Amino acid sequence: MSKPKVAFFDFTSCEGCQLNKLNFENDFLDMLEHVDIVEFREAMDDKADEYDIAFIEGSISTPTCIERIHDIRRRAKVLVALGQCACSGGVNAMKNLHQPDWVREEVYGNEKYRFPSIPAQPVSAVVKVDYEVRGCPMSAPEYLHIFKSLVMGRKPEIFDHAVCVECKLKENECVLDKGMFCLGPVTRAGCEAICPGNGQYCTGCRGPISNLNLEGAVEMLREHGFSETEARKRLHLFSANELV
Amino acid sequence: MNYLDTITRMNLHEKYLLTSKQIPDFISFLKTQGAVYAAQKKGEQSYSYQYVEDPANVVLDYPRTIQPLKKFFLPPREELLSFDYQNNSYQKTDVVAEKRIFFGIHSYEMQGVLRLDYSFKKGNPEGNYLNRRENCIFIGVSYEPDEFHLANALGIEVENTEGLSIYLEPVREGYIAFVIDEAGQNLIQGFGKTAKVTETIHIKEKPAKAKIRYHYNRLPKVFEHVYTSQVWGQIAKKCLGCGTCNLLCSTCYCFDVRDEVSLDLQSGTRERFWDGCMLNRFAEVAGNENFRDELSSRTRHRLHRKFKYLTEESGALHCVGCGRCSKYCPAKINLGTTINALIDDFTEQQKLKEAY
Repeated sequence: MSKPKVAFFDFTSCEGCQLNKLNFENDFLDMLEHVDIVEFREAMDDKADEYDIAFIEGSISTPTCIERIHDIRRRAKVLVALGQCACSGGVNAMKNLHQPDWVREEVYGNEKYRFPSIPAQPVSAVVKVDYEVRGCPMSAPEYLHIFKSLVMGRKPEIFDHAVCVECKLKENECVLDKGMFCLGPVTRAGCEAICPGNGQYCTGCRGPISNLNLEGAVEMLREHGFSETEARKRLHLFSANELV
Repeated sequence: MNYLDTITRMNLHEKYLLTSKQIPDFISFLKTQGAVYAAQKKGEQSYSYQYVEDPANVVLDYPRTIQPLKKFFLPPREELLSFDYQNNSYQKTDVVAEKRIFFGIHSYEMQGVLRLDYSFKKGNPEGNYLNRRENCIFIGVSYEPDEFHLANALGIEVENTEGLSIYLEPVREGYIAFVIDEAGQNLIQGFGKTAKVTETIHIKEKPAKAKIRYHYNRLPKVFEHVYTSQVWGQIAKKCLGCGTCNLLCSTCYCFDVRDEVSLDLQSGTRERFWDGCMLNRFAEVAGNENFRDELSSRTRHRLHRKFKYLTEESGALHCVGCGRCSKYCPAKINLGTTINALIDDFTEQQKLKEAY
C-alpha cells in the first residue's frame, strides 16, 4: 500500500497552526513515516495534482480564497480544517461585526480598492469539510489523534464537552473560583485545559460546545462580576460567526 | 439526630489523645504501615487528596477537596489494556492493590466510597475498582459544615463512623482518636505514644448551614412526583452543561472508553476516563440521535440517579451531601436550593390534590 499523499494550505491566518506542526519535532519525523507530504509551502517547494488528505489553515476572506479552496477541494479526497480560523473564521471574524467599508478603510486606507475582501468565513461555508481541528493555535493532541485516525482509515473521535471536564479530570483549581475570567464552562475541550492548567484562563479559542447556552454563559459571567458587554465581547473573540 | 445520642455513641469507643505535636509523628508512623494519602493544599485556596511526602503538609481542617476520594479507586484516566495489531494481541494492565491509608477524611466522603462499592459490586463486579479498594484503611476527621455541605440534611452526620477505622475529633490539646475497629486499634497500639482517655468527651455540635425542608427519607417520595416539574426547565436556563457536577460527584461512576493508537500505528492503549450524563456525547447513539438532548432532561436524570433510581435499588440515597456540585458549579446552581424547589413543587401538588 502506498503512503497517503498529504498537503497543507494556508488561507487568511497567522500560519501559526502550520508552524505548530513543525514544532512536533520527534513526533513529526514519526509521522513522516506514514505519509508523503506533497505540498507544504512553509516547509518545502514541491507541488502536486491530488491529495489523499488536505489540511487547510485560515479563513476564507477574499474572492481569490474562494477560487483556491474550490480547486483544492476538487483534488482532495479528505479535507480537514486546521485551527480556529479555518473552523469558524476565528479572530478574523471579528471584522464581520463592523461595516465592511469601514474595516477596509481602517486597514488599507486609500489603497482599499486594490484589496477586495469579503466577510471572514469558515472553510465549511464554501466547501465540504470532513474534519475539524479546533483551537488557536490548533490543539496538538487532537491533531495527532485525527492524523492517526485518517492514516489508519478510522473515524476520529472528537470531543463535544467543555474545557471544565478536562480541568476536573486534572483536578485543576477552578479559575473562576479564584476570581479570574474563564470561558471553560462553554468552550469545547480537546486542548487538555492547557491554559487553566498553567495559571491562565480559557479565552474560548476552540469555540463553543454544540449545545451552547449563550444567555446562561452571559449570566454566569455576570454572576462572577463581569458586565454583560464585556461578557459578550469576550465570547465574540474567537466565535463571532457562531454567536452573532 | 439528638446530639446527646451522638456523644453517648461515640464515647462507647476507646479514646486516645493525639496532641497537636504528635500528629506529624503519627502520620510518619502511618507511613511505615502503608502509603498515606491526605488532604493537602492545592493552588491558592483549594485542597486535594495527595500522597503524603511530608507530614507537615497534611491539612486536617479543610472544607472539601476538589476531586472526591473516588479518584483513587476509579482514576480520572486509567489504562485498561495495551494492544498490538501486528500479532493481534492484547495485554490487560495490572492493577496493583498496595496498602493505603487515607488520613483525615470526612464522613460523607467515606459514605461516598460505600455507595461506589455498591455500584461496582452489583451485577458484574468491576475488577479494577474492587482490586484498588482492597487493603485500604480510612481515618476520619471532624469538619465544620459550610453553606454547601448537605450531608447532615441527608442523614450523614459529621460523626458518622461507618467504614472508618479511627475518627479524629479536635480538642484543645489536639485530637481525640476514637478507635472504631480492629485495624484502628492496631494502628494506635503500634504507634504506642498516645495516652488513653477515660473521661467522657463532650463532642461539640457542628450545626449544618444548608437545610432541606423535608426529612431526607421523604426525598424518594418527592422524586416520584416531580418528573414533569418546571424546576428542571428553570435550572436548564442557568446550566451550561459543563459536567462539573458529574465529574466531581462522590458517587457518579460513569466512564467512557477510547482506544488510542501510537504513532507507529501498530500498538496502542485502551483508556477509560470519567464521563457524565450532563455531557453531549453521553446519551448519543448511532445516527447522531441523542435521547437526552435537553439540559433540563439531563439534570432531571442526574438527580433521579441520586435520589430515586439507585435509592429504590439499594435503599440508600446516592447523594452524600459533599456539596461539590454546588460549590464548583460555575453557574452557581445550588443542589439544596434545587431540592427545596422540588419539595415546594411537590407540596403544591399535594395541596391541589386535596382541593379536588
